[in-house]
This record gives sequence, structure tokens and C-alpha cells, in this order.
Amino acid sequence: MPRPSPGRTPWARLAALVLVLVLPLSATACSSGSDPEAAPERLSRGDDRATLASHPVQTRTTIHRVFGRLPDARRKVVRRQVGEVVDRWWDAAYLGGTYPRSSFPSAFPGFTKGAEARARSDKALLTNQTGGRRIDSVEARHRSVSLDILATGKQARSVTAHVVLRFDTAGDKTGTTVVRGRLFLVRKRGAWRIFGYDVSKGARR
Amino acid sequence: MTGFVTRARVVRGVRAAALAAVLAVTALVVPQGAVQPTEMSLVKIRHAQGVSVGDDVVWILAVGSDARPGEDMTRSRGDALQMVGINTRTGSATAIGVPRDSWVSIPGHGREKINSALYFSGPRGMAGAMRNLVGIEPDYVMVTRFPFFEDMVDDIGGITVTNPRRFYDPYLKKEGFRKGRIHLGGYDAMAFSRIRKGLVGGDFDRSANQQRTLRGIHARIRAQADRPGFIERGVMTVMEHMATNADPGELYELAQAVAQVDPRRITTCVVRGRVGFVGAASVVFPDVAQARRLGRDARSDAALRRC
Repeated sequence: MPRPSPGRTPWARLAALVLVLVLPLSATACSSGSDPEAAPERLSRGDDRATLASHPVQTRTTIHRVFGRLPDARRKVVRRQVGEVVDRWWDAAYLGGTYPRSSFPSAFPGFTKGAEARARSDKALLTNQTGGRRIDSVEARHRSVSLDILATGKQARSVTAHVVLRFDTAGDKTGTTVVRGRLFLVRKRGAWRIFGYDVSKGARR
Repeated sequence: MTGFVTRARVVRGVRAAALAAVLAVTALVVPQGAVQPTEMSLVKIRHAQGVSVGDDVVWILAVGSDARPGEDMTRSRGDALQMVGINTRTGSATAIGVPRDSWVSIPGHGREKINSALYFSGPRGMAGAMRNLVGIEPDYVMVTRFPFFEDMVDDIGGITVTNPRRFYDPYLKKEGFRKGRIHLGGYDAMAFSRIRKGLVGGDFDRSANQQRTLRGIHARIRAQADRPGFIERGVMTVMEHMATNADPGELYELAQAVAQVDPRRITTCVVRGRVGFVGAASVVFPDVAQARRLGRDARSDAALRRC
């Protein structure tokens, strides 16, 4: 009488399936523990980056609320202009340029002169300067801007921009960084300029 | 027999599956940091804030007008007088209080009580009188009246002040204010800032109470500044109810600067003086030397070392 093959019973099939699921996890854990550079996650992240590189994340700028009266056409202009100001900072401070690098000499376009001076002393947070030498590439994952607009006389007078930027870094400093907070803008010399900020930055490795 | 063997294999299969499931769950639940120290750990969160509104230090003359309904509040007497400095570079702030009956030189009007400078010459005249006394020319003058002040305090949810002594007023606050940390709504904040007769130090203690009120307002603004729209609503309210030489954009800048002041870096002093009479009028002869010293001390950094 032929013995029933263990793989043919439902329980055995389940056991085999679970083992198939478990073994790669164990293997991954072991290989990462002994040689972090060879961790399979890194390779898969690289694949994600390659995919996203052809579809870069766009900034989503929305208006949360307008205090005062502002015609729709002007709301759209403010949304576009302030979105561009935030984008220019993000690109100069975190996303753009070549890596690795340690110098961020023009990281604050769109800031007032005084705010730029303040921001320079907070470069560790407001740019990628601290880890820039250990970063090979940066890829944005999420970019969003939400605006509170103050308007009088049908003109926008000030904007609070609530911003969230999330990006992945590759290289020795691999991980995900989130920059979140508020930027304060007023119009100076015909353009929206950042005169203040309240920003936090966190990194997950 | 065959049935027994089959059942035994099934049992072994179940055990194996259970063990595998436990291992699988363990692999998923145990933090990967145990075997992958560089993965999935929150490394660091840092925070930075800064505001620049032109010069590092901005001076605002805050005036509480005693205008009654129907009166122009910028052409009435200034009852509460506080010269407020904000240092946007260091996050410090200061308030120099001046008793309203201080006998001072008012530009173009000779010597009068300082509270009449608003009546004679408007906000600009009041700024000139304060400059003559303290030696600081304010960048902005903001004048408000009691009803708006009460509404504003109510709008921000009331304030908490530290009251150094119990006091009361038979007209404004019969039951009085107890000593200690007390929460004040709009009316009580107004009464707390206006009452003079129940205070041993009279006008000087009242000015100090106004500074306690300012600290309470600042604490509320700072606590809520990151709520979307809080600052914008505040600026709209100020524009509606206050007379000021600041435009909406400047008000917004000032509000953000106020929100970033560090409460541990707030210093306050009241200009001292001697109570006397000019004719039949009771006045305060201010200690001009002290007032000038306070001005010199705080002008460049909005910080007072001593009163």
C-alpha cells in the first residue's frame, strides 16, 4: 500500500506553505544582520527608485481656507506662486543637485534676506547638509502644501503654508526622511517670500 | 492501523504548521531592529523655528484707550500703556509699563499726564511722549478699547495669570481676584488690568497686572499658533477692532513673531515714580533716569536685566 505523501495532505500543504513564507523572512533577517549592505530590502528599494524616477512625485498644493475675500482667479495664482516658492526651497535644500555633497550654498531661494540668515543657522534641519556626504541619491515620495490665505481688499496679504515632504535617500545614509511644518509668507517686492518657518525633520532608517 | 498512522501524521502536520505559524508571527512581530539594527527605527526628530520681520527688534506701543461707546478711541485718554519689544533673533520679549498719570513732556503740548497724549495728538503724539520718557521710538502703535479687548480674550479661550495678591474693586469686581494662578475670561481680564484702587501700589501695581495679562495672552497665542487659521483669524479680528499703523501683512508678521517668543525670555518692568500733585490733580512724577535706563537696556535686544 503506497504511503500517502505528506505533501498531499491539507495540513502538510499548509505547513509547507507557511515554511515557504517563513524561510525567506529568516534568510533576510540573517543576511541583513551579518551584512547590512547586502540586505535584499535595499535592492528592492533600488528597484522602486528606478521605477519612480521616470514618474517623479509632483507637489500637490491646495487651499485650506481663505480668510477674507479673494476672487477664484487670484486664489489660483496664489496657489501656484506659493507652491512654486516651496518647491524651489525643497529642490535646493533636499531633492535637487548632485549627491554626495556637503555644501548647500544656495539652499533658501524665496526666503527674505533676514529669514535666509536665520535659516542658515538651522541648515542641519532645513537642508540635507548633515548627511549629504553619505547620500548617493534622493527620491521624493510625497510633496504636499496646504495654504491658509489672509486677504483684504480682494488681495492676498499673507499665507501660512503647511508643508509635508517625504523622501528616500540611498547610499550609506539610507532611509526615509520627513520634513513637516509651516512656512510664513508675505509679498515683498512683487513676489511671495518666506519670512519665517516652524519646521521639524525626522528620519527613519 | 492505517487510520492511526494517518491520524498521527495529521497531528504532526498540525504541530508543524502551528510551529511554523508561531515562527512566522514571531518573525513579523519581533522588531527587525533585533537583527537589523539599521532598519525601521526612528532616528531623530529635530525642530527649528525662526521669523525675520526686518530689524531684529521690533517695538510696539500697546495702548488701552478709555474711549466710551461712540468716542474715537484714538482721541481719548490712554489708560494702559505698555512699550513692548520683541527680539525675533533670540525669541526674547520685554514690556516697559508706564503709569497713566505720569507727568511727562508731550510734543507740542508741554507737560501733561501721559494718558492725555492720545487725546491731544493721537497715536503719533503718544509715541512721542513715550519716546521722551523711555527713549525708544516705537515701530508700531496699536490702540484698542475695553470691549474689543474683552472679546479678544474670550476668542482665544481666556487667559491664565499669576496673581501675587488678593484684591477687589467694588464696581468692577466685587468678589475680587484670589491670589495664585487664576483663569480669566474677557471681562475679568479687563477688570484685572484696570483695577487700581484695591492695589497697595496703585497705578504701578496696575501696570504690573497689565503685564501679567500680556503674558497670559502670549501664552494662549503661542499654544494655539499652529492651529490652521488661528493667526489669520486673529489678524482679521485685530484689523476689525484695533487702530494701528501696521498693514495686514505686517500684522501677520508681528503675530508670527509674537507666537515664537519664548515665555522664559520675557522680562517686564514698570517705570517707578513718586505720587504728587500739580495743582489739584494727582499725578505721578516718573523716575526719568530709571525710564531711560530701561530703554537703553532693552533697546537693542528686548531684554531687561533689572528694573
